[in-house]
Amino acid sequence: MDARFVETLTPFLPFLHGETITEDTPLRTYGLDSMQAIELMFALEDSLGVSLPDEALVEETFATAGNLWAATRAAQGADAVTAGTESV
Amino acid sequence: MSAPAQAAPAPAGFSSALSASLRAEVDQVAALAARHATDHDDRAEFPLAVLDALRPRLLGLLVPTRYGGPGGSVDDLVDVTIELGRADMSTAMVFAMHCQQVAAIAGHAGPRLAAELLPEIAAGRMYLASVTTEAGKGGHLMSARAELGARDGLLEIDRFAPVVTGGLHADGYLITMRSPQARSDGEISLVFARRDQVEVAQRGTWNPLGMRASHSIALQLTGRVPEDQVIGEHGAFRRIAMNTFGPLAHLGWSAAWLGTASGALARVVSVLRGPERSRSDFSSELLLTRLSTARQRLDTVHAMVRYTAGAVRRAVEEDADLSHPRHQLLVNALKLTASEQCHRAIDDLVTALGMRHGYLKDSPTGLERALRDLRSAALNYSNDRLHLADGRLTLLDQEVRYA
Repeated sequence: MDARFVETLTPFLPFLHGETITEDTPLRTYGLDSMQAIELMFALEDSLGVSLPDEALVEETFATAGNLWAATRAAQGADAVTAGTESV
Repeated sequence: MSAPAQAAPAPAGFSSALSASLRAEVDQVAALAARHATDHDDRAEFPLAVLDALRPRLLGLLVPTRYGGPGGSVDDLVDVTIELGRADMSTAMVFAMHCQQVAAIAGHAGPRLAAELLPEIAAGRMYLASVTTEAGKGGHLMSARAELGARDGLLEIDRFAPVVTGGLHADGYLITMRSPQARSDGEISLVFARRDQVEVAQRGTWNPLGMRASHSIALQLTGRVPEDQVIGEHGAFRRIAMNTFGPLAHLGWSAAWLGTASGALARVVSVLRGPERSRSDFSSELLLTRLSTARQRLDTVHAMVRYTAGAVRRAVEEDADLSHPRHQLLVNALKLTASEQCHRAIDDLVTALGMRHGYLKDSPTGLERALRDLRSAALNYSNDRLHLADGRLTLLDQEVRYA
């Protein structure tokens, strides 16, 4: 996952208590509620310049960090990748 | 002359393929519920005789055929609930909420639990109550305070719930609790408890404005159940709520409210056209307009109930994701619309008929009880809370597409 993605995601997980975010990290378990999901979506738009399409806004997308990262990457498309987004 | 071998045409009121014998059973139960409704309302008593009449076949309506049920659909649930609601809203609510629990088991329980429970439900031995309310969380479904204990392969339940419809008379409970060692209130498990696995203590009394026969008392449940009585897996409640609990609750409740208001309008028309009709001024534009408005409200709700039931059925058939905002918005809009419009329709009719047939308890229109019963609709999962959720969902559906 992209470092900036993880950095953007972290404040939305109040029960993370310093643990490392992995692809399997369950976002709801760590405190992402439906209000925060909207704020997170706006934050991803601001920090990564990516807008998740309406079709991606299902429960599954917000189930784990990996799912959200996959949806984010899909939305970024080829342009964002060639623009130098690094994977970690 | 022999009749061709084909299904009997569905009588008015039934849109689905419910079998003729099941339809006859619905009519019998509705007639029984209608006979008992005034007494149960007066005494705020649960309709035990009506529950017993529902047991032989109707409690198992949504049980799939492979488990011995009739494999009823969402449309069947709507049909039956509307018909029961015409007679008594409490009975319709009790039935619809039980079916919501059955759907959760049929759709999400593990194979062992499903194989144990579903045949029992089909045989009418298992009336299920829903335990989702909790003090201090403001009616928020996706949040739980009391945590399941986990010890020696058993789950420990110690749960207070302020509102459990029919809770004293249930044979089993589906209970939401914080998952064992949950990190947040949003990590919720749905667990089944058989009546003999938990101690059930009533807290307080039940003396409400309406829905009096639903006997929705406060309960304290304590006991231990095997680990495999979790529906789905720990933490799965959110998924179950989005795909099954929420849609079926809102469909079932809306059908109950629509049935209640439809029954009341039918009785109003019957009174207006009855022996006292010379007292009514059918040239009154006010009367005609109020009748029209009431009917318009009910046709609006009916169209929405049918459309939403179809959307939910198609989503289930196609294994589509009901968590998408446009699906959630439709299901929530149904609840908001039905709760407001059914109550408003009855309120209009009270105004139209005046003090005697609009307001007196013993009028054959039954408007007085219908108005009290339907006042609960906006509170039964608060419309205020639902509007907040819908506001958020609206922000997520930028393109404004419809389910």
